[in-house]
Amino acid sequence: MNALAKDAATEITTSTKRYKAGVLKYAQMGYWQPDYEPKRTDIIALFRITPQEGVDPVEAAAAVAGESSTATWTVVWTDRLTACDMYRAKAYSVEPVPGIPGQWFCKVAYDLSLFEEGSIANVTASIIGNVFSFKPLKAARLEDMQFPVAYVKTFRGPPTGIIVERERLDKFGRPLLGATTKPKLGLSGRNYGRVVYEGLKGGLDFMKDDENINSQPFMHWRDRYLFVMDAVNKASAATGEVKGSYLNVTAGSMEEMYKRAAFAKELGSVIVMVDLVVGYTGIQSLSNWCRDHDMILHLHRAGHGTYTRQKNHGVSFRVIAKWMRMLGVDHIHAGTAVGKLEGDPATVQGYYNVCRDAHTKVDLVRGIHFEQDWGALRKVMPVASGGIHAGQMHQLLDLFGDDVVLQFGGGTIGHPDGIQAGATANRVALEAMVLARNEGRDIANEGPQILRDAARWCSPLKAALDTWGDISFNYTPTDTSDFVPTPTAV
Amino acid sequence: MTDAAATDTTLATHVDPVATTGGVDLAALYRQSGVGEVMRQLDDELVGLAPVKSRIRDIAALLLVDKARHAHGLGGGAPSLHMSFTGNPGTGKTTVALRMADILHRLGYTRRNHVVAVTRDDLVGQYIGHTAPKTKEALKKAMGGVLFIDEAYYLYRPENERDYGQEAIEILLQVMENQRDDLVVILAGYRDRMETFYRSNPGMASRIAHHVDFPDYTPDELLRIAELLAARMDYRFDEAGLAAMREYIALRVTQPHFANARSVRNALDRARLRQASRLFSAAGEGETTPDRERLMTLSSEDLRASRVFQGGRESAITTTHH
Amino acid sequence: MRITQGTFSYLPDLSDAQITKQLQYAIDKGWAVGIEVTDDPHPRNTYWEMFGLPMFDLRDAAGILLEIHNARKTFPDHYIRVTAFDSTHQVESVVLSFIVNRPKEEPGFRLVRTEEPGRTLRYSIESYAVVARPEGARY
Repeated sequence: MNALAKDAATEITTSTKRYKAGVLKYAQMGYWQPDYEPKRTDIIALFRITPQEGVDPVEAAAAVAGESSTATWTVVWTDRLTACDMYRAKAYSVEPVPGIPGQWFCKVAYDLSLFEEGSIANVTASIIGNVFSFKPLKAARLEDMQFPVAYVKTFRGPPTGIIVERERLDKFGRPLLGATTKPKLGLSGRNYGRVVYEGLKGGLDFMKDDENINSQPFMHWRDRYLFVMDAVNKASAATGEVKGSYLNVTAGSMEEMYKRAAFAKELGSVIVMVDLVVGYTGIQSLSNWCRDHDMILHLHRAGHGTYTRQKNHGVSFRVIAKWMRMLGVDHIHAGTAVGKLEGDPATVQGYYNVCRDAHTKVDLVRGIHFEQDWGALRKVMPVASGGIHAGQMHQLLDLFGDDVVLQFGGGTIGHPDGIQAGATANRVALEAMVLARNEGRDIANEGPQILRDAARWCSPLKAALDTWGDISFNYTPTDTSDFVPTPTAV
Repeated sequence: MTDAAATDTTLATHVDPVATTGGVDLAALYRQSGVGEVMRQLDDELVGLAPVKSRIRDIAALLLVDKARHAHGLGGGAPSLHMSFTGNPGTGKTTVALRMADILHRLGYTRRNHVVAVTRDDLVGQYIGHTAPKTKEALKKAMGGVLFIDEAYYLYRPENERDYGQEAIEILLQVMENQRDDLVVILAGYRDRMETFYRSNPGMASRIAHHVDFPDYTPDELLRIAELLAARMDYRFDEAGLAAMREYIALRVTQPHFANARSVRNALDRARLRQASRLFSAAGEGETTPDRERLMTLSSEDLRASRVFQGGRESAITTTHH
Repeated sequence: MRITQGTFSYLPDLSDAQITKQLQYAIDKGWAVGIEVTDDPHPRNTYWEMFGLPMFDLRDAAGILLEIHNARKTFPDHYIRVTAFDSTHQVESVVLSFIVNRPKEEPGFRLVRTEEPGRTLRYSIESYAVVARPEGARY
């Protein structure tokens, strides 16, 4: 690929030269247009690229634009049978990543007619199809995307959304509470339902199947659904509240998933769940099914860590979150910031905002590079799950606000006085914290005291604080913000 | 410091001097409350009105001392704060009510600094069953601050014994008595009619703690008001213009429907209209573009064109606009 | 049995002072607050009876507390909740809802199971109080 030698890149505009057989620089082919002003109907992608030694970042950016749209490695005369100037993606900005030598942010604009309506599969086949394996790049990461509202409106979005979910569940003014049934593997249907009943009766709103609970030899899916729904309904009668348990319908084929979802509906479940690993199209089909059957769709982001976590290569989770909002899920695991799984607080807040904003504004500190008009697409409820406990309630409420599901799996089931006590501890901690916040108290600082005060009359909370009060997972996150707030920032 | 102060957080936040020294530093209390600022604002906003301002000062002092006494555990429960403002139209009752609300709020006697102004129409319904919800709605909106009832005597119509106004009065009385911590009511209107109203409604009279009478402005005060209002809009009178305004006022006060400051404001509005028309036609006759000075000046002819000088009454400002 | 619907049901019943703070929070956010009453607290009974219209444009919680007191006087043994509405575009729904009065005795619900072919069960939830007596005489 000596064509990528480092020298000035200018587009060749004479058609005889441009379409002469051979190898040209991507920049010369028209994929680098520094003066291009994106149209309001363009789809825009921001890539973080790490060019190989000696590769000009501008040429690398042009290559990204080329490889993610019309280009191949050599000139083809058949381009001239098309309106190829329009179909060509245009890299129009290349800037060094602050503080990381060798990495560059490049922005690429794509014409709307490059994409099929309502298909994340098509978007991803273009934008992340080939380009990430491209040899002149050491690494590439899709950091953020902006979709024109015209394209957003070709998607139906979440089947239920935050507002309708709350109206259906009759739960307002506080985060929802959940827990994943543990142990992940090995419980029989009967034993599994016990955990669900105890958690819900103790005060949780939701219980949840884990991502790898499908239909294994120790518990076939129908057994699980039957026992779980008895537990859900019994807990509902015991408390007077609407309760739910995310029944995982993930399976080896779409037909099987529909079958499982239909049985969940038949048993009266308010919610089903699917794993990200079934793929964009599978999720979107299930979303359509949920829309037709008044079902909330919970998405577990199983597998995302393989491509979202490392900063230099892959796809940022904020982009995944945008795709998921468009293709239509109601819940999405989006990180805890304070728990056991990866997540820098500002970056995680960025994911949450993408899920919940009516109109997302540029917010570099939270990793949001583009404004996004969501075109009245419903809002996705983010889920904070993994290694969180009642003692962190003030931090969680302060970071994420009301529209979030807080899932305390170990923090409920591992309670020394039992699952019900664990659930009650979490619910009391949550309500006490919301009450205090609404009263105008500074929960970020007064939180531990507010919890201790509530623990005086709530022994399950006291036991929870005694058990986990000091547990925290303080590791340096890998996917951090590139832009730190400074007093001089404009 | 005393326990009484400690239990009242509203007071404690404002009355540190008392709390820390144990003595009553009224001057410090006064400074901290910011009441002086409100009094200065009142002076800036309203010309003259010396007796009213002195009454307001008295009330503020009383409230301040009550607070100090309260901090020492002296005296009974919350003082009654409902007031009556009587006087002719345009004498500043509404403006003073706003400042009074400010004072009450700064001294911690009300939780919020707002005035909800209503008249009979806002409180009394036309059909059976409509009055209670309307009155309650107004009361609920005013809660925490001041309810200002203008021309309160219209609530009471003795000529019609089934008038729904009586129902509104009863609801008002109940709240004025039971929720003194939540609401201050100010009744306002012409003095003679308010007196009749109180005579017929002794329950109401007994709940009013402070009566403030608003006298008419003197001609000199009205002239100063005219100058002040003009200056606020970046106008001024030339010498002949000022003399014309003085004469205008002297004639206008003797005529019916004179409304003090409001009449002066209306006269100014009409004068501005005439000035504009004068400058416009002068330009049409080939005169040079008026300079800043001329754009600002109200002259004798802008005022003397008024019908008041022809022995007639000034027409309503709305018709003048046509 | 204690019905745990509403935002603060796991806390001890709120005092009037605590209720006032929550109401003021709602007012300061620009939300309208309504009072609703029922003696049929089925988890899916969405429409409790309105005790007057939601209150718009208030500035101080005292006005709402006044109506809560009226509601308690009228329905001492009913469930009473306050519900706050946010009219912001793309919210336009309830954003806070909590119980401010409940009956002295709460008999709760029975889970009714109807057996269907196979292992399937149909579920419904029945209120002991509602089944026992007509509206208005249940608690």
